[in-house]
Amino acid sequence: MTRPRIVITGLGGICALGTDVPAIWQAMRAGRSGIGPITTTPLHELKVSCGAEIAQMPDHGIEHRRLVTMDRFSLLAVIAAREAAAQAGLTLDADASTRAGAVIGTGVCGWETIEDNYRGILLDGRPRANIFSVPRVMTAAPAGQVSMDLGLRGPVFAVSSACSSGNHSIVAAADQIALGRADVMLAGGTEAPIIWGVLKGWEAMRVLARQTCRPFSADREGLVIGEGAGVVVLERLEHALARGAPILAEYAGCGLSADATDIVAPTVEGPTAAMARCLADAGLAPQDVDYVNAHGTGTKMNDQIETQAIRRAFGTAADRLSVSSTKSMHGHCLGATAALELIACVRAVTDGLVPPTANYRVPDPDCDLDVTPNVAREREVRAAISNSFAFGGTNASVAVKAYRA
Amino acid sequence: MSDELAATIIGKIKAHAAPETGAITLDTELTELGIHSLELTEIVFELEDEFGIEIEMSTVDAWSNLSNVGDLVDAVRGLVETKA
Repeated sequence: MTRPRIVITGLGGICALGTDVPAIWQAMRAGRSGIGPITTTPLHELKVSCGAEIAQMPDHGIEHRRLVTMDRFSLLAVIAAREAAAQAGLTLDADASTRAGAVIGTGVCGWETIEDNYRGILLDGRPRANIFSVPRVMTAAPAGQVSMDLGLRGPVFAVSSACSSGNHSIVAAADQIALGRADVMLAGGTEAPIIWGVLKGWEAMRVLARQTCRPFSADREGLVIGEGAGVVVLERLEHALARGAPILAEYAGCGLSADATDIVAPTVEGPTAAMARCLADAGLAPQDVDYVNAHGTGTKMNDQIETQAIRRAFGTAADRLSVSSTKSMHGHCLGATAALELIACVRAVTDGLVPPTANYRVPDPDCDLDVTPNVAREREVRAAISNSFAFGGTNASVAVKAYRA
Repeated sequence: MSDELAATIIGKIKAHAAPETGAITLDTELTELGIHSLELTEIVFELEDEFGIEIEMSTVDAWSNLSNVGDLVDAVRGLVETKA
């Protein structure tokens, strides 16, 4: 079966680096980290005090009666989806709306609402949970809210695979187009985990950095949690051409795998398989790829295993790759992170510039790829791969490439 | 028309209404408040707590039985007087 070509016609994002894609990309180009002290939420007795938060929400103009139904993770998704749809110039009449959908992934859920209820009821003696608790918390809320906001009446659902949710969502959305169920899909991920209850769980695992995130640097001390959302507009090529949409890049393919080993400890084999399958699915040889946006969490375990996996998947071509972890700047945004990282890949392709790994200080002999330390690198990026690995061993790599008619 | 009961109820409604909603009176239609359908139920809950009454209405009942703020005040007044 020949599958239809799928292109990317819009990008939308919000995270610690900025409240739209131009601002986010400007920060990435400059290697400016958005990590800092958490100021927007009470931390109570938490030991961890740094994160990659959105210090100031943009003026979104969402009406009150819609806003009260939304947890922060839905709001972030709607803001990113609006930006992506606007860039794609998406206007949907009644017929077209049935051929347009959304897959918005999340790794956690609408935890701000859970936190507020437990504290309110158990500590402050409130008699009831917030009446919107159920529709605010549910994993599929952001997908539903995005569909309502943009009038998408085709396939709409959430996908969840912890920290690779964003990539699995993008793949699931592309599949809807490939299978003929939709012409246009908004796809990505969202997460608002900078909340005491979530951070307390991460703190218990002792994987959080005290200061900042330094992927691939020998003096790294762990990951930093971030919040945000990323959404891309995926579109059947003929559909995009027919309506004169801006074509930013082509969705080339994906590789999905599972470690099937441990709920938290990664393997080399799982990520290797994801990248190898991604190359095969995209019809790319290892030397056709110029940039890998690494999962690069900034934990010793991830960074060293990912380095080995990239070497196994790319062979000798690994040494001509530019690699970087943009988590050093936007933090680990869990279910949203892969979507933000795909934005970095698309902009790397369109702008011929590899965003750096910020906060890098000390070379690690076990992470000996070119990790683009601290300074962006200008080079033609014909194709880029975005890696996402997750607790549960659920791996997803997505490839994008320059669009050629 | 303005009495203490009505003022209390209007105060509770105000906390839920859209910020751009103007002055709320007994004649204000519930649909003009800019509230989500479930928020009326939340308001009903709050009035139950405030006055120690039970307004037996589901979300659907509330919207079909009540049209303006005055209707809500009357419903509460009836229950409060029955209780007394």
